[in-house]
Amino acid sequence: MKESRFIIAPPPHMKSTTTVPWIMRQVVFALLPAAIWGVVFFGVRWALLPLLLSVLSCVGFEALDCLLFRRPLTIGDWSAVVTGMLLGLSLPPGCPFWIPIIGGGVAILLGKQMFGGLGQNIFNPALVGRAVLLISWPKIMATWHVRSPFALGVTTYPTPVDVVTSATPLGIVKAYGYTAVWETPNLLFRLFVGLVPGCIGEISALLLLLGFVYLLARGVVQWDIPLSYALGLVAIALAAGQNPLFHLFAGGAIMGACFMATDYTTSPMTPKGRVIFGFGAGALTGIIRWLGGYPEGVTFGILTMNALVPLLDRMLPRRFGVKKV
Amino acid sequence: MKLRTFPQGVFLPHHKEDTAHLAIVRVPPPSRVVLPLSQHTGAPLKPLVQKGDTVKRGQKIADVDAFVAAPLHAPVSGKVAGIEDWAHPTLGRFQAIVIENDGSSEEFRYDPLPEDIESLEPESLRLFVREGGFVGLGGAAFPTHVKLSPPPDKPIDAFILNGAECEPYLTCDHRVMLERAEDMLLGLRIMVRACGAQRAYIGIEDNKKDCITHLTPLVRDLPFPTEVIPLKTKYPQGSEKHLILAILSREVPPGGLPLDVGVVVNNVQTAAALGRMAKEGIPLVERVITLSGDCLKKRGNFEVPLGMLLEDLVALCDGFTTPPRKVVMGGPMTGITQATLAVPVIKGTSGFLFFAQNVGKPEHSCIRCGRCVLHCPMRLLPYLLGRLAEEHLFEEAETNRVLDCVECGSCAYVCPAGIALVHLIKLAKFEVMRRRKRGGK
Repeated sequence: MKESRFIIAPPPHMKSTTTVPWIMRQVVFALLPAAIWGVVFFGVRWALLPLLLSVLSCVGFEALDCLLFRRPLTIGDWSAVVTGMLLGLSLPPGCPFWIPIIGGGVAILLGKQMFGGLGQNIFNPALVGRAVLLISWPKIMATWHVRSPFALGVTTYPTPVDVVTSATPLGIVKAYGYTAVWETPNLLFRLFVGLVPGCIGEISALLLLLGFVYLLARGVVQWDIPLSYALGLVAIALAAGQNPLFHLFAGGAIMGACFMATDYTTSPMTPKGRVIFGFGAGALTGIIRWLGGYPEGVTFGILTMNALVPLLDRMLPRRFGVKKV
Repeated sequence: MKLRTFPQGVFLPHHKEDTAHLAIVRVPPPSRVVLPLSQHTGAPLKPLVQKGDTVKRGQKIADVDAFVAAPLHAPVSGKVAGIEDWAHPTLGRFQAIVIENDGSSEEFRYDPLPEDIESLEPESLRLFVREGGFVGLGGAAFPTHVKLSPPPDKPIDAFILNGAECEPYLTCDHRVMLERAEDMLLGLRIMVRACGAQRAYIGIEDNKKDCITHLTPLVRDLPFPTEVIPLKTKYPQGSEKHLILAILSREVPPGGLPLDVGVVVNNVQTAAALGRMAKEGIPLVERVITLSGDCLKKRGNFEVPLGMLLEDLVALCDGFTTPPRKVVMGGPMTGITQATLAVPVIKGTSGFLFFAQNVGKPEHSCIRCGRCVLHCPMRLLPYLLGRLAEEHLFEEAETNRVLDCVECGSCAYVCPAGIALVHLIKLAKFEVMRRRKRGGK
C-alpha cells in the first residue's frame, strides 16, 4: 500500500491545552498560600522540614517504584508532588523527620502504586498515608508545637525556643467538652485566619479558601463536592447543637472539603454521586468529631466515602430525551 | 439580546476570523470532475450514463430506486471519461463517474417553481426536492426529501433552519446567510410547505451577529411566523438535538428523530441551494465550502462544482505556505482526515482544513477528572464508555447508552489525558450495531 503523506487520525483535530501535569501544578500553586503561612506561623524547622520531606518522600518512592517494576517514570505528572503537599500539610508541626518519610512511602506505595498508579487507586493516597501514621503513632500525631503566645488550653513543657506544645481547638472539645473551647477569645476569627495550633497547612481557612477559589477560576475543580461536604458537616453540627462555623473552620475541614474530597481519582464522576459523596464525607467528619474517639474526623470520613465511589459512579444522570419517571 | 443555549458542551476557540469576512468566490469549473456514487446517507446510486456519453450541466447522471437516496447531476457539461474506483473523502475508495469538461455552456434546467409556493401540493414539492438531489449540506448529507416526509402519525409543527455553524474554522454557512438570504428564504418556504410546519426558526450563533441583523427584518415578509434565534456560541450547538433543545426546549428521545418531537431541521445552505433551483431550475451541482487552516496561502469561501478535486482547489489558493501534515474534510471537531489531495468535493463537504501540525498531547491513563462527564452534551459518561470499548464490553456499553452519543468530540477535546474517547465510543457503537443486525449476541 502506498504510504500516505498525511497524518490519518480520528477527530477531534483540536485539543484543549489542559494536560495532567498542568492540572497538578495548579493544585500545588493553590496550596502554596496555606503552606507559606504554616511555615511563617510555625517556623522553618517545625513546618518546612516535614513538608519538604513529605514531598521528597512521595516523589522518591514513586520513582523507586517505577524503576523497581520497570514501568515508565511517572513523576513528571506532578501528582506525587500534590500527594506529598497534601500529606505534609496535614502533619502536626514539629513531628519527627521519619514521620513524613514513612507517611509518603505508605501514601505512594500502598495508596497509589499498588493499584496501578495515578487514576487507578480507590483511596486518597495522602489520607491513606495519614491514616496509617495516625493509627501507628497516635501520640506523635497528636502533639502540636506552636509558638507560646498562640497556645491554647494546657501546655505541657516549654522547649528551648519559645515553642510549646498545645492542644488544638478540636482536641480541647474532645478532652474538656464543647463549652471549654469557647473560653478562647476571638476563637472564630483566629480559626478563620489561622492563629491557632493545628496541622502545618490546615490552620488558615482563609488561605485554603483562597487557593480553592484559584482552582475554581482555573476550572480545575468543581464546587459541588466542597459545598455538599460543608452542608453535611453543618447538618451534623446543628444536630449536635454546636456552632457550624466552628466546625467548618476548625481542624482539617476546609482542607478536606476543598482539596482531599475533590481528589479526581477517588471522588465520583456522576453529578448525583458527587453530591452524596460530599455530603456523606462531611457528615461522617461531623459524626466522628461529635461521637467518635478521635478529635478530628476528616481523614476517616473521606476514606469511608472513597470506598463507596464505585457504587456512586453507577448513578447515571437523567437520559437525554427521557422524562423523569 | 437574550441568547438560547443547551446545558454542558464546550467553548472552543472558533478561528473563524480568517475567512468570515471574505465574500464567496465562484471558482471556474475545472477540466475534470469526479462524482462518487455515494455522497449521501442511504443507498448508493446506479449510474445512468456510460463511458463516452456526452452530458449537459444539470443533467441527471445517477439515481437509484430507493427512498433514502438522492440523485446526482453533472456539474459541468462534457464527456463521461469513465466510471472508476476513486479516492473518497469519507469512504476510502468508491465508484465514481469521471467527467471531462468540454467548456461548453450546454445546460439542462428543470422548470422553476411558480411564485406562489404555498398553493403547491406538499407531495409535488417533495418530488421536486428529491429530483434536485438535495441532501443536508451541513455535513451529515441526509437526503432532504426524506426529512420532509413525516409519517402521518407524527405531525410537524416547527421547522428549524440550522445556521449555528458551530464547528471552528468553517464560515461557508455564515457567508451563505449573508449573501444568499433571498434564495435561502425561498428554500425555507418550500421546505416548510413540504413538511407541513406552521412556524419556522433560524438558529444562529451570536458570533455571527451580522447574519442575525441581516435576516431579522427579512423574515417578517414570510407567509408564516418565523423567528431568528440568537444562540450562545457553544459547541455542539449545531447538533440537531441540541438546536431543538435550545430553541424549543424539546428533547429528541433516544434513537429517535427530530420528527418524533414535531420538528424538522435543515441546514441553511441546503435551503439556499433549493431556493436557487426553484428560481432557476439548477439542481444541486455546486456548493459553498471553506478552505482554511494554517498552511494555506489564500484562505476563503468558495463556490465550487461538486466533484472538483482537492488538488485543483489547492492550486487555486496558490498552494501552501508550509506543507500540511494533516488535511481534514469538515470541521476540526468531527472532520475526517484525508490521505490524498486527489479526493473530490462531495455534497457533504463543508470545507477542507490544512494543518502544519498534528495536535495532540501526551497520553496518560484516565485520571478520572470528570471533564468528559461535565461537558458531554448528551449526559453520558464518556470515560466509562471509552474504557468499556477498550475492554470489548460492548453489551455493558450499550446499557450505558453508548448509542446516544452524537460523536461531537467534546469529551476528547477536554480530556487532559489525551484519550481518544470519541474514537473508542464510535468503535463501541459500531460493534453494538453490528451485533444488533446479526440479531443476537
